[in-house]
Amino acid sequence: MTIESKAATATPTAPTESLERLATALGVRALHTVCDEILTEGGSAPSHPLRQASAMAVVRNPWLDTDTTEDLESHTRRVAPVLAKLLSDRLLKALGGADQVQTFGKAAIVGLHGEVEHGGALIHTPYFGNLVREFLQGSSIICFTDGRATAGSQVRVPMWHKTHAASRAHYQAMEVHLPDAPHADEICVIAVASSGPRPHARIGDRTTDEVITSDILKGITP
Amino acid sequence: MNVRKITTLVEETLSEGGRAVEPAARVVIVAAVIDNPWAGQGFVENLSAGIDAVASDLGALLAPRVMEALDAPLEAYGKAAIVGLEGEIEHGSALIHTLKFGDHFRNAANATTLLPAVEKRAAAGTVFDIPLKHFTDATIRSHHQSVEVRVADAPHPGEILIALAGAAQGRPHQRLAPLGSD
Repeated sequence: MTIESKAATATPTAPTESLERLATALGVRALHTVCDEILTEGGSAPSHPLRQASAMAVVRNPWLDTDTTEDLESHTRRVAPVLAKLLSDRLLKALGGADQVQTFGKAAIVGLHGEVEHGGALIHTPYFGNLVREFLQGSSIICFTDGRATAGSQVRVPMWHKTHAASRAHYQAMEVHLPDAPHADEICVIAVASSGPRPHARIGDRTTDEVITSDILKGITP
Repeated sequence: MNVRKITTLVEETLSEGGRAVEPAARVVIVAAVIDNPWAGQGFVENLSAGIDAVASDLGALLAPRVMEALDAPLEAYGKAAIVGLEGEIEHGSALIHTLKFGDHFRNAANATTLLPAVEKRAAAGTVFDIPLKHFTDATIRSHHQSVEVRVADAPHPGEILIALAGAAQGRPHQRLAPLGSD
């Protein structure tokens, strides 16, 4: 049985005058945007400062009081695209536009009264991922982390290149703090992006790697 | 001044207590992680040389970033100094409790009051709260508020994290009687 949330009944049929008002109607309580500019690493400045940004929406879990047979499609279709728009807008503003975005990633942290599957519904379907990919002008699968936590924890969100996911120099992560969120009946949905590769990236790539097998352990291991 | 990292946080609160906040409440924090100017020098009796070398540049770095990220007239503000484990809390206080630092923010925001502050020594990744008060009258109760901050990986033992915070409004749904009515 679908339990219609208060947020669901408030969904307007006509366009709202502001995206933020629509977000509020969908149960978004807060939006946090963070931009880190890393000017030095390991004691020296990289050729270009790395900028990493995260955008997080704290949204009411639309599936409270449902069980594991609940079809998640309708609320996902209603909520996830708006979250994708809100978060992408903030990442693009923080980093200066899609041409400044080289990597991306995403995360969902579900409050204690929800299923991890609820977070997955909001980030692992085309309703979120396709839109973030489109707004940030990428083509890769978006790497992710997810889980369930109480308010005040941290999540380390991975990212990789938005069009060349195997580019090793771009493998990186950003730690996001979740002050006062998620409450037990909420979900934190996060998108991250950065302006470039790791500072001082120097561990080669699959195109430069030698062929390595377990033979390398012969003569070393007992 | 050697800056390792600058972190900008923008908090937008769309609802509080189950009721919409319109327009969304905005609070911004900008933090710079710098080398402690007195690192490795033992107990330095007179801190003025380090203050002169760093405090004004820090204020000039942080204040315009807060105003730009806030993107609205500022109504409340505050500051923070988090000293890494090898420093003294006095080192952080030295950098923020001087007009050379704070006047950059006051001038940018047309503010007049003292900036409320938090000073502490902590390991990297500590959670701290920055107090904010009204920018022209620190007795205005509606604008007393705090914002929680955590910068992963800072401050290192030989570093200091210095932050400014600004808010475009008081607390969401503030509804306490003013000070004079108690």
